Amino acid sequence: MRFSKFKRLVGFALVLVAIAGSSCRPSSTDDSSASNTRIFKDALGRDVSLPRDVKRVVSLAPNLTEIIYAVGGGDKLVGDTTYCDFPEAAKFGDTMNPILESIIALHPDVVFVSTASQIEAFMRTLAVRNIAVYVVDSKSVKDVLVSMITIGDILGTKSEAQSAVAGLERRIDLVRSSVNGRPIRRVFIQISKEPLFTAGHDAYMNEAVRIAGGDSVTSGIPGAYPNLSRETALKLDPDAIVISDNEGNHEPNSAFANSAAVKNGEVFRINADLFSRPGPRVVDAIELIARDLHPEAFEPK
Amino acid sequence: MKRAAKIVVILLAVLSAAVAAALLFGAEWASPFSQDPGQRAIFFDIRLPRVLLGACVGASLAVAGAALQALLRNPLAEPYLLGVSNGAALGTMLAFVVFGNYVFARPLLAFAGAAAASVLVYSLAKTRAGMNVERLVLSGVIVTTFLSSVIIMLTTLLDAARLRSFTFWLLGDLSQATWSGVYLSFGAAVIATIILTSQARALNLMMLGERDAVDFGVEVGRVRLVVFGASSLVVGAAVAASGAVGYVGLIVPHLLRLAVGSDNRIVVPMSAIAGAAFVVLADLAARVAIAPRELPVGAITALLGAPLFVYLLRKN
Repeated sequence: MRFSKFKRLVGFALVLVAIAGSSCRPSSTDDSSASNTRIFKDALGRDVSLPRDVKRVVSLAPNLTEIIYAVGGGDKLVGDTTYCDFPEAAKFGDTMNPILESIIALHPDVVFVSTASQIEAFMRTLAVRNIAVYVVDSKSVKDVLVSMITIGDILGTKSEAQSAVAGLERRIDLVRSSVNGRPIRRVFIQISKEPLFTAGHDAYMNEAVRIAGGDSVTSGIPGAYPNLSRETALKLDPDAIVISDNEGNHEPNSAFANSAAVKNGEVFRINADLFSRPGPRVVDAIELIARDLHPEAFEPK
Repeated sequence: MKRAAKIVVILLAVLSAAVAAALLFGAEWASPFSQDPGQRAIFFDIRLPRVLLGACVGASLAVAGAALQALLRNPLAEPYLLGVSNGAALGTMLAFVVFGNYVFARPLLAFAGAAAASVLVYSLAKTRAGMNVERLVLSGVIVTTFLSSVIIMLTTLLDAARLRSFTFWLLGDLSQATWSGVYLSFGAAVIATIILTSQARALNLMMLGERDAVDFGVEVGRVRLVVFGASSLVVGAAVAASGAVGYVGLIVPHLLRLAVGSDNRIVVPMSAIAGAAFVVLADLAARVAIAPRELPVGAITALLGAPLFVYLLRKN
């Protein structure tokens, strides 16, 4: 089971937080003359036709909400999920409504969705109402940066998106050059303590750890977030454990009691909101992990 | 009783083989005699307690199922169907939410939950005219579904990270086996097996019908209380240790009755041994099928149990 997706699904199955402030009058008229629309290819390879002047958007994933704000499109966001808790302005209140009805009532020009297995039926329902759905799939840090540019383009804030991405790229390069030449640490990424879940082959967190000068020891295991045997966890004996710090996941699993990582105090907690959301703040996570894994690389000379 | 002795020998042999296989195989190679402390740690700290816990949980659920089926004269009686498992699951969840990681709260509240569910079912089903079996099973269904909805509500209100571990745990999971958990469920399994076996003669007579049993001098009310009490204890301990592993209490006693007949003096105690072997083997499959990843053991018992049950139904 892919839990970040699962979490998102729960988010959108249960609740859609509606709106504050903005009036609910239908925005763009249904004028689809070529000059007023543009075509964007989304993560599913679909051609999504969007108005040139997008005014109202809905986000159905916390990482996409963060991206929308980071590229300067926050003022166009009219609805998101209760899991969208960053930045502060993205919290729209706490009205629970059946999702589809709320989305339709918001009259968005586009709904941003993260890839998840159950979106198809959902997209069909919205398509009937002429509401465009743009699907984003961030499988790597690079994907995050690319989707920032595209979302900025869609929202008409492309230059702001480009400078935001350039800033993030500079920070990533700085981390890379700082840890360059340092011994690569063997890192275990702990997603859940009990039962023990880790980052498998498809998890983009492996890349974040790699940039920070580590090697995720579970990156060869199939799946995104596999439930790992504690026997294997013990055998892996990592140098360092990076915990995606969340409710019920603050300490290493007991299988690590005698591991080098625990004995040497090399257990690091990284806020799960930074680490597990493929959004702009993953760069914060990369910097924190790099400092934890290679503190000497960041000492003032 | 020569036949009984033969069955005991066969079942003990099966259990020993199951335990041996379960200790031999796992996600990693681990020998208890290895010079490598890592291998010894895998064997003694992770694998051995898990195999033993699986055996205790299997014995617990099967013996409770066997006794409840005899008591209620209903082949579908199972800790699940009567709401006992869900009572225990709700108790464990409350312990987790209210007392956090305070270890002893979980089995205590699980037992309390199982006992409360039993009492509730019992009092719902009891009429002035006495206990009616259909009414009891119906009450069990009502209590089960009611408790399920409370559990679903709780998991929904908890945040996503807890939700994840609970959904997993509700399927039945032995991966966090500890020695304290093993001692506790071993104690509960042994005590409950002894108590329930002591009621086997009375249960045999009650299978003829409660009125006949009374004529034979069976204190029906007392037997009922003892059986419900002991099965709550043992199901509470099992659920607190491993979540809700399904189908064990249903499948194991049925298979045994097919093999050895319906004498509860044999079926009840032997269910404990056969149940232990069943869960140990199911958990072995859960551990090695997609290693180094794992499946929850409850998924395996259901996967084996459901078709087996359909087969038994059609055959009879």
